[in-house]
Amino acid sequence: MAANGEENSEPGKLGSLDVPFPSPREATIALSSLSPDREPRRGGISKHLSVSGSTLSRWSADEARILRVSVCSFLDHLQLVVETMEKFG
Amino acid sequence: MGAPLVTVAIVARTVAQLWGKPLLGVNHCIGHIEMGRLITKANNPTVLYVSGGNTQVIAYSQRRYRIFGETIDIAVGNCLDRFARVIKISNDPSPGYNIEQLAKRGKRYVELPYTVKGMDVSFSGILSYIEEAANKMLSADQCTPEDLCFSLQETVFAMLVEITERAMAHCGSQEVLIVGGVGCNLRLQEMMGVMCQERGAKLFATNERFCIDNGAMIAQAGWEMFRSGQVTQLEDSWITQRYRTDEVEVTWRD
Repeated sequence: MAANGEENSEPGKLGSLDVPFPSPREATIALSSLSPDREPRRGGISKHLSVSGSTLSRWSADEARILRVSVCSFLDHLQLVVETMEKFG
Repeated sequence: MGAPLVTVAIVARTVAQLWGKPLLGVNHCIGHIEMGRLITKANNPTVLYVSGGNTQVIAYSQRRYRIFGETIDIAVGNCLDRFARVIKISNDPSPGYNIEQLAKRGKRYVELPYTVKGMDVSFSGILSYIEEAANKMLSADQCTPEDLCFSLQETVFAMLVEITERAMAHCGSQEVLIVGGVGCNLRLQEMMGVMCQERGAKLFATNERFCIDNGAMIAQAGWEMFRSGQVTQLEDSWITQRYRTDEVEVTWRD
């Protein structure tokens, strides 16, 4: 998992998160489970989820405070998906 | 409400994919209505949906459950719960149940505002009024907590019966179904029963097993939706706290 500032755009904060899964199937399921709910429209943040190989990656933008909240809730939700897979998969 | 909704949605989506099963997003109120119809065998009732978060009078017409009247501020259950807190009534098993029991021993009716506005109702003013009255009258020994419980129930239930009756008259309906957590209040059922008897209509209600929020009601509504050919695509399965009863197209009824 690597959080790093990236090239493009304004003074905003950018970060990305790489999450390894055992196989592309699990990564795809996690992607479909996590992507329908949008970020609060009040905004200051945009989130992109994608699968490349067996990795679910994510990166977001803007103010550090909002980034932290978004990353925290993303990790909570991710953990929920993983636990669900362990229990019911 | 956002957190519980998103938690369940994420688990449901994951399980649906793991097991290769279709997913259905269900409107909470539709769950109550379909569960009530299944249990009571009511055919085409005018529905009074009363709980801690919602107060609506609903009737089915042309593929929608249409809202004929509703609260313009807080829900009736919310009003009762908050009143219980003011006069320190226990939460065990529920504030509403304890108000109902105390009300049986009420002797004096304390006059409260009666706020029916057309087809809609309002409870926040009644709550403020009774809060103040409680503080004053209880300390001056002018009434008992039992009297206040009795007076509050009689007033808010009378309002609910009134708007339900008006919706029935409008639709020519001869059935009433009470759903939602407040629906297990026997005094509400009794008052509604009197109104129904006077109109030659039939009252359908259930006990707390089916009135109070439960998973089976969501399953039942989902089953009806699925049988009529509906499924929710994963990308459309986002959650919302603003999902009105009349937004759902009722594909499972004529």
